Formats: sequence, C-alpha cells, structure tokens
Amino acid sequence: MKKKIILSIVILSLLVSSCGEKWLDIRPKDSVDQYYLANEDGINALLIGAYSMLDGVMEVGIGWEAASSNWLYGSIRGLEANKGTDSGDSWGGDPIKIYNELPTLQFLNTKWRSVYEAVSRCNGVIMVTNQALEDGTITQDKADLFLKQAKALRGWYHFDAWRMWGMIPYIDENTDSDEVTNTIDIRDKIIADLQEGTLLPDDMGAIGRFNGTVSKVLLAKALMQMYQNYDEALVLLSEVKTNRTKPDGSAIGLAPTYGEIFEIENRNGIEAVYTVQYSVNDGSGGWNGGYGEVLNFPYKSGESPGGCCGFFQPTQEFVNSFRTSGGLPLLDCSYNSDPVISDQGLAPADPFTEDTGELDPRLDWSVGRRGISYWDWGEHTGSDWVRDQSFAGPYSPKKQVYKKSQEGILTETESWTSGYTANGYRMIRFADVLLLLAECQIETDDLAGALSNINAVRARAKNPDGFVKESDGVTPAANYQVSEYPSFPDIEYARKALRMERKLELGMEGHRYFDLNRWGITVEELNRILDYEKTMPWGNRMYHMAIVGPEDINYPIPQRQIDLSNGRLKQNR
Amino acid sequence: MTLIFTVFPFVSLIAQNEVTADTVIKNGQVINASDQVLTGYSYKNTAQITGSVSLVDPDLLTVIPSDNVGNLLQGRVSGVNVIGSGQPGEASRVRIRGFSSFLDNNPLYIIDGIPTRDISFLNPCDIERLSILKDAGSAAIYGSRASNGVMVITTRRGDEGFKVTYNMSMGMQLPGKGTKNDVLNTEEHADLQWLVYDNDGTVEVHPLYGPSTNSSPTLPPWAANTDWYDVMTNPAGIMNHNLTFSGGNEIAKFFAGFGAFKQDGIVLYTYNTRYTARINSDYNFLKNRIKAGESISISYSDKLNVPNLNENSPIQQGPYRSQSIIPVRWTGPDFAGFEHTFTEGDWGGTGIAPRLGNAPNVMADLTRNKDDYFRDLHLAGSIYLDVMIIEGLNFRSTLGGTWDKGSLSDYTYPTYERSENIPDTTLVESRAYNSDWIWTNSLVFNRQFGQHKITAIAGYEAVNYDIGRVESNLDSMEYTPTRLLSTFIKADYSFADRYLISATLRRDGCSRFSESDRYGIFPSFSAGWLMNKESFMSDLKWISTLKLRGSWGQTGNQYSLSPMNAVFQFDHSIGSSWYDLYGTFTSSVMGYYPSKIGNPDARWETSTITDIGFDAGVLNNKIEIAFDWYSKNATDLLYNPPVPATSGLGEAPYVNIASMKNTGVDMELSYRNRWNNFGLNTSFLLTAYKNKIYKITDDIEYFDSGVSRIGAFVRNEVNYPLSSFYGYKVTGLFQNQREVDNAPTQDGASPGFFRYENINQDEYINNLDRKHLGDPSPDFTYSLNFILTWKNFDLTTFFYGSKGNEIFNYNKWGTDFWSSFQGQKSKDLLYNSWTESDRSGSVPKASNSSNFSTNTQVCSYYIEDGSYIRLKNVEIGYNLPKAVLSRIHINSLRIFLQAVNLFIITDYSGLDPEIGGYDLYFGIDNGNYPNVRQLLFGIDFSL
Repeated sequence: MKKKIILSIVILSLLVSSCGEKWLDIRPKDSVDQYYLANEDGINALLIGAYSMLDGVMEVGIGWEAASSNWLYGSIRGLEANKGTDSGDSWGGDPIKIYNELPTLQFLNTKWRSVYEAVSRCNGVIMVTNQALEDGTITQDKADLFLKQAKALRGWYHFDAWRMWGMIPYIDENTDSDEVTNTIDIRDKIIADLQEGTLLPDDMGAIGRFNGTVSKVLLAKALMQMYQNYDEALVLLSEVKTNRTKPDGSAIGLAPTYGEIFEIENRNGIEAVYTVQYSVNDGSGGWNGGYGEVLNFPYKSGESPGGCCGFFQPTQEFVNSFRTSGGLPLLDCSYNSDPVISDQGLAPADPFTEDTGELDPRLDWSVGRRGISYWDWGEHTGSDWVRDQSFAGPYSPKKQVYKKSQEGILTETESWTSGYTANGYRMIRFADVLLLLAECQIETDDLAGALSNINAVRARAKNPDGFVKESDGVTPAANYQVSEYPSFPDIEYARKALRMERKLELGMEGHRYFDLNRWGITVEELNRILDYEKTMPWGNRMYHMAIVGPEDINYPIPQRQIDLSNGRLKQNR
Repeated sequence: MTLIFTVFPFVSLIAQNEVTADTVIKNGQVINASDQVLTGYSYKNTAQITGSVSLVDPDLLTVIPSDNVGNLLQGRVSGVNVIGSGQPGEASRVRIRGFSSFLDNNPLYIIDGIPTRDISFLNPCDIERLSILKDAGSAAIYGSRASNGVMVITTRRGDEGFKVTYNMSMGMQLPGKGTKNDVLNTEEHADLQWLVYDNDGTVEVHPLYGPSTNSSPTLPPWAANTDWYDVMTNPAGIMNHNLTFSGGNEIAKFFAGFGAFKQDGIVLYTYNTRYTARINSDYNFLKNRIKAGESISISYSDKLNVPNLNENSPIQQGPYRSQSIIPVRWTGPDFAGFEHTFTEGDWGGTGIAPRLGNAPNVMADLTRNKDDYFRDLHLAGSIYLDVMIIEGLNFRSTLGGTWDKGSLSDYTYPTYERSENIPDTTLVESRAYNSDWIWTNSLVFNRQFGQHKITAIAGYEAVNYDIGRVESNLDSMEYTPTRLLSTFIKADYSFADRYLISATLRRDGCSRFSESDRYGIFPSFSAGWLMNKESFMSDLKWISTLKLRGSWGQTGNQYSLSPMNAVFQFDHSIGSSWYDLYGTFTSSVMGYYPSKIGNPDARWETSTITDIGFDAGVLNNKIEIAFDWYSKNATDLLYNPPVPATSGLGEAPYVNIASMKNTGVDMELSYRNRWNNFGLNTSFLLTAYKNKIYKITDDIEYFDSGVSRIGAFVRNEVNYPLSSFYGYKVTGLFQNQREVDNAPTQDGASPGFFRYENINQDEYINNLDRKHLGDPSPDFTYSLNFILTWKNFDLTTFFYGSKGNEIFNYNKWGTDFWSSFQGQKSKDLLYNSWTESDRSGSVPKASNSSNFSTNTQVCSYYIEDGSYIRLKNVEIGYNLPKAVLSRIHINSLRIFLQAVNLFIITDYSGLDPEIGGYDLYFGIDNGNYPNVRQLLFGIDFSL
C-alpha cells in the first residue's frame, strides 16, 4: 500500500513536471508586437512605415534637419544656393553653410536619428517577416517580396548616411546593440542590400514602392559614389536605359519639356523614376507634405506662394553658370566675368533692365528672378519676393514651389502655411539616369556614348515649348540659347561637360555636394565659388571667413551619438 | 496544550500563571518553544528558527481599528517601515529592510498558502499567525518573489469546544484645526497684497481691494472669510464589528468570522466600507494520518477616495491654494463673474472676480463627485490535503486561488464657478477582473535519531496570476498573465537541540524571464547555536535563552520586470508612418513604426542578504532581546538607459544593470513582569537602515525623479540613498545691495531673496551649484509599547516615532511666495517675511518677482526635519470579573476607551509628517491627507 502511494506520487510529479517548459511561453496580450504583426497585412504595414521615412521626416520633431531633398546638405553645401532669409534669423544649420560645423551640432544629430530610425524600420520588417515564416503565417513568395523591398530600402538609407559621414555603423536585424561600431568598412553590405532590390519585379503595383529599375539605379549610384566602380555601374545603367519601368508599371522617359517636370501634378509623370510620395490634406497636418522643405518659399506676403520663410536662395555663381555662348556652356568658368544682370539693390518700383545675353533656358525653371514669369503667379517683381536682398541676394527658389492654381488643392489646408505641398521630391528622374550613364561611359572610354546621352538631355532642354514665356504666353522670357555638343575632343573636356551638365540639369535638387565629393574636386571647386560669392554685396555677411578644407568633405559624427555609444563610435575627423 | 484566544491572552494567561522558562513571548504573544510557526511551507519550532523571522501578535495588530493589515503593522515589528495617510481605504506603503529596486518594493503576502501582493481584502481579525520573513535564510524558499520580504499569514482555525466572540469599537475622528493658524484670513490676505505693493513699489488700482495708494485695502462686499480646511472636513465616524464562531471535535473543526468595517473620512464624502466573511474548516481522518481542510473568504468593499499628494489633492487645492475671500456658496445679489453670473445658492469660486487664482472650489468638487465609487469583490480560497505516508513522511498538497472584480465610476461634471472651467461632462466606468491560482505539492520528512533531528521538505509549485482584463466604456484590455513553475527543497538539521543548520534551494521558472535565462536558482544557508543549552552556560542561570544565528542567501524580484519588456511594440501615426503608396496626392496609407524596443534578455532582480543576529532571554525570559544586523545587496536591477539612435527611436527597454545596497539593524527589546495584582509588559522596537545606490549604468551616474514646476525634487545618484532631495542650498537671505554685489553672480539676486551656496567656488551661481539636501528615509524608526495591568484594569500606551526623515514641504511653494499662483498664502509670508525695515524675517521678501532667487528652483528652503513621535494608541480597559461573568455564562467581557493619534511631537510645520509617495520620490508634502485624532470606545466579548 505504502509503495503504491509512493509510486503514484512519483508518477504524478513526473507528469506535472513534464508539462512544464512550454507552459511558461506566453505572448503578451493586447499588444501590437512582433507576433501580432507577423502576417501579410502586418508586415506590409511595417514596410509602409519604412517607406514613409523616405522624406526623412517624422512627427516627433525630425524636420528640415533631415529632409531627404538634401537642400541643405547637398545644394547649399554645394553652393548652388545659400541659406537665404535675413541676418536676424539665426538657425541651427548656419555652421553648415560656412563649413564650420562642430560634432555637437544638433542638426547632424537629427539627420543621424532620422536615417537610423529608417534603418530600424527596415529591420523591423525583416524581423517580423522571419517571425511569420517561423510561425507559418506567410508564404515564402510573399515574404521574399517584402524582404527584398526592406533590404533595398535599408541599403538606400545606409547609403544616404554613408555619403554624409563615411564612417557609419551598419545595422541589420541581427545586430547586437552592444557591438555597434563604425570603424569597419561596410560598403559591401550596402551593395549587397541594394542588390536584393534589383531582383524585384518591375511592376510592383504601387508607384510608391521600390522596383527592379529603381534599385538598379540606386545600386549604380552607390557603386559610383562609394567605389568609383564605373564598370559595374555602366552595366546596370545600360540595362535600365534599355528596360525601364516605374513601380506601378508605367513607362519612363524624358519629359518633352523641362519645366513640366516640376509641376506637382507631374510628380509621377514620365520623367519620374522614383519620386518620394508626399501627401496633403490627409490628416497629417502637413507632416507628409514636404515638411522638410517648408522653409524654402519666397517671402512675399500676399500674392506669392508660400509666404514663408525665404530660405534657399540661389547663388549668383549658380545663376551665372547658365550663361551660354553659341548655345554651349562656358566650361572654363569664364561666365563669372559676364554675370547675369540682377536687380540687386533695386526696389520693385525702380526700373530694371533684364539681362539680354545668351542663357540656358533651364535657368528660369531653377531660379526665380526679377522680370521673369514665376509659374502662374505672374512676374517675379524683385526684392519684395526676397526676405533681405542685402543678406542673401535677389534670387528665389522655384523648382519645389507650387502653382497658384494648386493652392489649397495640392497644398495643405489644415495648417498655418501652404508651404506643405504634394510636390514630392524627385529622388531619381530619367535625366539623372542618362547623365549617370554618360559619366560611366566617359570613365570607361566611351566618349561617343556619353556625347549622345548628354545631347539627349540638352535636346530636351532645347524644346522651345519648354521655355519660360512672357505674359503673352508666346515670347520667350529671355534670350534662351541651348544646343547640343558637336563632339568631345578628349576625356578632360567630356568630364567638364558632364559635370556642368549635371549642374544645369539637376541644379537645386540636392545632388551637387555629393557629386563634387564623387569627383574628388570638392575643395577646389567650393573655394573657387566661395571666393566669387564673397565679392557679392551679401558675400561677406553670408560667408564671412568660410573656407573649405579636406576635413570638411565628410560631416562630423554627432557627438551625442558617440556619447551614447560608450565610445564605441569613433569620430571621423 | 491548546491556547484559547481572547483579546488579551497575556492577561488571562498571566492570571493563570502559565509563564515559564520555556515560554517564548514575542510582542506579547505567548508562544511556547515547542510551538509551531509557519515559516515557508512548513511549521518550525520557534526555538529552531535560524533565519530572521519576526512574529506579530495578531491581537496587538487589531488594537487600532483599520481594515488594512499593512496600516496596522506600523511599529509592531522591527525591520518593517510603514507609511500611511489618513485617507480611509488608502493602503499604506510597507517596506521591509530598505529598498531593493527602482521599480517595485512591495512585499509578498502568503495567506493560507495563497500568494498575493494586495492585502486589502483580508480582515485583520481573521489572522491567527503573522510571521515576517526578513532575511534570505527564511525567505529564499520563495525565490524570485521574495526580495522585498515575505509575510506569511495563517487565518484562524477552529478548535474543540464551541466559542463565540464579538469585538466592536466605535468612535469619531476629529479633523483638528488644520491649517487655520498657518494660512491667511481674508483681511490678512489683502494686507499681504499691500505689503507686496510696498516691497515692490507698485502703484495700481487693485480690482478687488482698491487703489494701492490707500493706506489699507478695502474688501469687496461679497468677500467671505472661508476656512477651507474647516469647511471641507468634518468629524467622521469609524466603527469595526467582528463576530466569530468556532468549534469542533476530534475529527472536524471550523471557524467562521464575519466583519464589518466602516470609516468615513474627515474629508467630506470620502469613506471606506468593507464586509468580510470567512469559513475555515479542518478535518482529520484515521487518527491524524489524513488531514484536510479549506479556507474560504469573501470580501466586499466600497470606497470613495480623493487624489493625495499631488496638485489634484483636495487638501492641496482647498486649504493651501484657495483664498479665504472666496465664499463656498454665493449669497447675496446676483453678480457677474468671468463666465457665469453668480446667484444665490451657486457655488462660489475663482471665476467670481480677477486675481482670485485658479484653484477649484473643493467643496463643489467633493459634492459633485460624491457618487463616484470604487467597489471591489474579492473571493479567496484554498484547500489542503496532508497525508501521512509513513511515520515522519507526509505528503502535502495545497490548491488555492483568488477572484477579484473591481468596478469604478468616475463622473466629471462641468463647472461654472472657476476662472478656468471644465466645459464637458465625462464619465469613465470600468470593471477590472483579476484571478490567479496556485498548486503546491510537497513531501515533508521528519525524523529524529538520537540527538540528531532532521526535517526536510521538497516541493513542486505552479502559479498562474494576473489572469484578467479591464473593460471600460472607452476601451478594453486584457492582462498578460504570468506563470511560474518551481521546485524547492529545504533541509533543517539539529544536533542535541542546540546546533542548528538549515539550507534551502529554490528553482523558479517564470514566463517573464528571457528564454535563455528562464530559470533562477535561489539558495540560502543559515545556522544557529542555542548557547544557553551548553553546559558552560548552566551556571549563568540569569540567562534563560541565548541563540546566536546567521544566514546568507539570495532572493529574487520578478515583479519589476514587465511581461511587455521583452517584446517590440509598434504604433502608427499619420505624420510619422503613413505613406501615399499609390500616388493619390491627398491621402496616405497606414504604416507602422517601432514604438518600443524590446529586450528579450531581461530577467529577475537579485537580492543577496547576509544576516547575523541573536535572540536572548534574561531572568526567566522576563527581559528579551532580539537583534539583527543585515546587509542586503540588490543587483541586476532593472533600469532603462537612453539608447543610441542606431537602435531606432522607440522607447528604450529595461535592462538588468543597476545595483543598490542596504545595511541595517533591527532590534526588539521587551520586559514583562508581575507583582501581586500588577502586570507590566513593555516592548521597544528599533528599525534602522541605510540605503545607497551603488550603480546605475556604466556611464550614467544619476537620474532625476519627481518633476514639478520647480524642476525635479530628487536626484537618484550613485553613493546616495534613493529619493534624495537635490537642489540649491540656501545660506540665508541677501540683506542689502552690497551683499548682492559682493556675492557670486546669481540671477535675480536682490535684498530679501535667497542667497545660494557657491558649491564649486566659482563666480557664478548656476546649476553646477546644486547638492544633495537630505532624504525622506529615516535614520531610524522606533516604537514603545506599554501594557500595564492592575486587577481587572489594563492601560496601554503605544508610541511610534521616526527620526531623521526629511520632508520636502512643497505646499510652501504656493503659500510662501506671492508670485506662485494667485492662491492662498501663509501667515509666515505676511508676518515673518523680510522687509527693508525689518530684516530679521526668515521668509523671503513678499514680492511679485518670480525668478531664480525666489520661487523657480528646488532649494533647501522647502526641506524640513520630519522627525516625530506620536502617541498612536492609548487605551484603558476593564475586564468584568469572572465571578460576575460566570453567572451569565459569558466567558469574558471587556470594555475599553481608546484614543488613537492622541498627540504628536514634531517640528514639522505641515499637517502630518507621515508622508508617503513613490519609492523613487517620496516624502514630498503636496496636500497630504492627514492622520488625525480618533476617540473610540469598544467591547470585547466572548461566550
């Protein structure tokens, strides 16, 4: 009897103990966590969250410091434009424009946080997709589509950080936060991620997704920027030129005229390869409507767009670059001895004689200046469009700005300003692809190929339907002369032509500084331009003692992040 | 020998001459050395205990009427600190031996084998034994729930012979004069405005008081003179009834207890009512070979509480923030205010006229809220089975669980009487359900071989708690339950009844811990030496007991670790994660972003406790001492350091990274004696501890807690105790302009304003000149209990004191500075403030200036010594003589008169120096609901 009792107790205990381990696995209830989202809809939602960081902006106070249009880090730093506004408007980004930034600059910390938040969202997609595969709640095919998009995005975001800082940490879904370091070369990881994207189908069913075409272009950009690997980039870009589709399956090509590219309604038009999809009047109060660019509108109160805040004014040097002779640009930079006449120092009521010399027509789509029609707002009337001519010069930005007919329709109404618009940043457009291809051809000794691609871009610019017109709608607003190059005599000439073409075609679109870095001519070129700009009436106050040195090529790693990493991150200067 | 419990066992037993050398008395409870006490799953002889265990006499516990056992523990046991407010139904904060976590320091209660962390449902009169396991030697057997100490409670069981008892006490709580002598009446308030005009040189026409050029202010016709404390408080009743039946025979015994407790709060409309019923029964079969039983209780409570210790506390808003000029109700002709025309019978308020501030009318709020409630129904039950397999080997199984339903109703009415009114009605109604169960199986082994005695217990336990959900009219949420699977083993060995060794080991698996670290192991060792039994001690006849003991062990805390800490959580917001995926221009598609970073590798916090102590009894145990020294080292504490951006921008998770140390001393000293008709039983308890934060993270040396209008009150910093006040040290008031000029540059410095200490000896007074200014943990707390008996009379006095606890009197921010809100001000500000003509004032100059040198910083001005000694209980009782009682067949009848909180000796200027709060920041007086004097009478009766 006793033995039976003992035996039964032992058996009971064994039974009870064997039910053990699994019983202790509990998933939290009522929690939107990685288990809740481990299915097709959940992962898609996480992926959309990752795409939404393509504008760089997040409603928790990450705004123009991180704008993906790179108007500050690309165009202002590259001296296509200056900060604009007036002397009293002190701004966190001021040190950047005078190449004087310290690691403690809050702007850089914000940009860093924006990029790595985006990376963490991509990794969230991958982590949850793997959870779903483990749980069996998604098929391998669907999972692969999500994974490739997430990796392509992750590669893009890391690349965006690489071209700012160089020494960056690479974070993937398995990274242990204790092991984050920025002292190893992670470029190959970026390449691997972008390569995943090239395997995506071309028709992804939505204009906002990455597809094979987009990924190939991004991969080519990365190969060129990080490795100067023109051979592989050439292959990719040639493929794209032959076979190119937007993510919603529609065609890609050069838009017939230059100006139409920048109208809001055409943001997903034929020229677009990938455009960041802004949206307004969607309940976000402007946070999805180009929050990063909200400062960059003419300052005129009343009948002019935006009304605030007068930032991002083009430089005289940039304007002068559009001088042509016989339709061709002055590749020896002699245009600065024949500067474009401006209304600097004149009041709107003062008489003004416009410049009558030869100009590339693309000037008046890139820059707003006195006497020239400004979209459908009428003529730019001069200093009253500008916050303080004596501080930043007479010019206004134009490409990003909305038309009067679109106010309230494609601009945000639930906010203090119409400066939140649906004019999504043209992250990649076809002319950019052709010019990148030409660059690769030059560097691989195919000058003829480069010539034909560059001329294709110029031929489009030559289309007189695309000239800005006087108020009669017929007469060109200025003496527009642009023609194709007859030939490239040598590689040096071809390079200069290509580099100038990028400035004229893609000016004010956030590329310049990174282009200069890629070509290795940052220091000389920027100092050359600085020397000229300092001779302007606004020059000294705007630039004071600014000078560019080789240490300025990469931005400094934010000190706050170095502190938080317990010293595992190292400064890059 | 069985003990028949009446209220005063000591008295009756003394009368029966039952005190002998072997009698161990703790806190007045007579326990024989051979008596069994429940310590961690098994009974143990009190003489054999090697850990640090305190026993509390339940009859002493229930002397002061209260519904909450925690409240009643204050001063009854060393090593335990209890802080409570005077609000009925508000649980006290019970802390055993300092702090061992930033996040959770609540002890574990085991009631009839059922673990719980909220003891508010238990009727203190149902308690038979209460033992507090303070060190690892005694508590480690509870493993990862035991770091904050464990209280093991068994409820009353039946006995042979039918008994009925009835205990009743009833009385009144008296609010006292409150703030009457601290704050200004209406005339004084106007005079203060005139003083401010004088000091500041301001000339204006005051909207209520007239032109400042007049020599004195005039009051508007509607001016009242409201004593807000008086208006909102009333004497309030308190009563407690307890009726028990018990009986049984050899085979079956039962105990049934019924309790009704009702306490109105001195603040109008606050109250707490609770009804409890319990039935416990025990059975034995086959001559004690098989024992079984159950304990079931049900408790229903209904209470209405108001916020305490924050800006929404009515005590703050009324006496400390409402001007006396404001009438409670409008009387007189109609009058147009800001948003409302006041007519007869309306509530008065700050909306009547300008410069009245923005405090609510507390009477209006209390009246409007009087139908709010919080009701709780709680069922708890356990059954046990004990089978003797063979002599010395028992199998024991306990199955228990609780079920709780709480319902809440909170209705907010729109107001009209304030300067900033609430426009809308809101109603929140919710019900919360929570249940849990536990199943413990163990084998108990008991054997004696000659001089060797061995007891061992091995067990297996499964627990599932936090099963439930909360539903409200707004949304609903399910709780994430926690499951435990544990094994434990305990072995006690003694030789010759004088050398004792004990070891325990517990292995806890918990669903909250990380997968890789799922099981925690918690060992302990303890040893004891009953020296008085040694031959070399036999000559020292005056030493009746002497036991040396020591223990070392580890316990854990799983409650600090949230089950949600392990997972990544996601959220969405249109501006942060939605994207116009399809190019519509004017719409976007929902996306998610990581809102909280998960840490799947977190696990329990650990406390390692070393304890050395002795129990001694002298002169036939007339004098007894229990003494412990302990060192409690808490490691792997959970803290959430900020993370670098590479982890994403979600909320940072908790990681096991910090540590804290506590060292302390517990002492209990008692003396009892009888001479003829006199009896005396006194005990003195002392609790002293020092807490120190040892590490937060590798780079973080401090974090601030307790944010307010003047910054954070507390800096929790390495090498300082938890909740240490941190700010500027006031060295005095600037007396003249020359002093200001010669002092280091201090923003806002001016004659009559604060001068701060220049800590770093540089030329500026800025945030680098702050230091730790004191902390609310006492240097020690103590209690003194006298029970004097003479014939049939008894007199009890019970003092409780605290020494060295600092209080941050945040009420003074509002009342001592004219520029802090246009609210109520203090008499100190009017009569004791610095002026050009009288520079002896200790309060800064009454001025409209609000700056760094006046009222915008945390500084030592607000910090006061909160030491106090309170006569918590004084009671006179009379036991009717046995001769009289036996004629009416009543066993005992005692009537008594009692005063609770009769007086308090303290330098603290506020209403009550007993101030709770949160572990990370407490001792901050922001309208504390005070403990007040109570006068009661009662009856203890048994049949």
